[in-house]
Amino acid sequence: MTCEEFERGLPELGSGHSIEQEEHLKSCSACSDLVADLNAISQQARFLKGSEEPSPWVWNSIEVALRQEGLIRQLHEESSRTPAPLLSWKLRWLVPVAAALLVALGVLLHQRGMGPVHLAEQAPPVGAVTAALQPNEMAHEDLQLLNTVAQRMPSMRAAYEANLQAVNAYIRDAEQSANSDPNDEVAQQYLRNAYEQKAMVYEMALDRSLP
Amino acid sequence: MTDAKKQQGDKLSEAAAIERAKQGDAEAFEALYNLHKRRVYSLCLRMTANTAAAEDLTQEAFLQLFRKIGTFRGESAFSTWLHRMAVNVVLMQLRKKGLPVVPLEETMESEEEAPRKEPGAEDPRLAGSVDRMQLQKSIAALPPGYRMIFLLHDVEGYEHNEIAEMVGCSIGNSKSQLHKARMKLREFLKTSRAEKAGKP
Repeated sequence: MTCEEFERGLPELGSGHSIEQEEHLKSCSACSDLVADLNAISQQARFLKGSEEPSPWVWNSIEVALRQEGLIRQLHEESSRTPAPLLSWKLRWLVPVAAALLVALGVLLHQRGMGPVHLAEQAPPVGAVTAALQPNEMAHEDLQLLNTVAQRMPSMRAAYEANLQAVNAYIRDAEQSANSDPNDEVAQQYLRNAYEQKAMVYEMALDRSLP
Repeated sequence: MTDAKKQQGDKLSEAAAIERAKQGDAEAFEALYNLHKRRVYSLCLRMTANTAAAEDLTQEAFLQLFRKIGTFRGESAFSTWLHRMAVNVVLMQLRKKGLPVVPLEETMESEEEAPRKEPGAEDPRLAGSVDRMQLQKSIAALPPGYRMIFLLHDVEGYEHNEIAEMVGCSIGNSKSQLHKARMKLREFLKTSRAEKAGKP
């Protein structure tokens, strides 16, 4: 058997070789190297199965779509089983996403030579508007953002609305604490964090909404 | 089923989750998603080489699955059913982009497509070791038709007859394309290794 004949038969090979092929492999280092390499590639490929994890966004989007299509039960039926309202289905995904983005944002700001204080200085107009609003009432820019999201990803609007309401509530609480004691550094830090969270929601929404 | 649920503690078994999902139970949908998300997403990611596109495809595959879950009767494994759906979603996407989905038959294949090597020629081997990161990069560089067959066979573990059915090609074509995909990967990996070692 020649090398050419051997290679021509390779695609048909399963786990074993014919006697003729075995004989050729014993006498031909090039072909035995080739078989060893192809086996190594095939074996290493098995480790790639299911090795990647989708972001929490995916489940969030699926759940929103399933609810809109009426494929899963209404929220009120489940809410009785869910003790902590802040960790309900709409917000659970926000925790890892916010944490990851907080780190990313921190790195980005650090690289640009900006600290969180600068961001906080930019953010207060959003928070100032937020503070003047009633709970669950949306500021004009929030509504604009939701409209943008709805145009690009209608199924995500409800999730973003819930997230904006949550982050607005966070800002209101943080502002109250900071105003009650302007010298409280922890309260100031909470306020900056709250603004950053809102900036992140905006960033994520606009990023995902881009064509 | 009750025993299975007890064995798994709070976690739903797949069979129980399927039955509860048919009734519209959100927790069951999420359990099924969590069981299979990595495998579906990994396939989508390797086929698209784009995280946003892979996430969209994963979402679409699961949505299609959940919309049809009421028709699942358990004749085939749930994972196979889901995976076929994911493959179909990916193939649809590739077709929309005008990329070749069904691998070309050997007779139609251009010379440039075939890995270049003189049979029996001296050929430095990979010495049986393959760097996983480099393998991932090399898979991403494969033409879509080769990539799909390689992923389905060597990564996902499907047989050629299953792949032929899924992709819409002959069994022989699937075998041939798999071999060519492996040969191309070998070339990529060797080139990459040579570059790393500072060789021309």
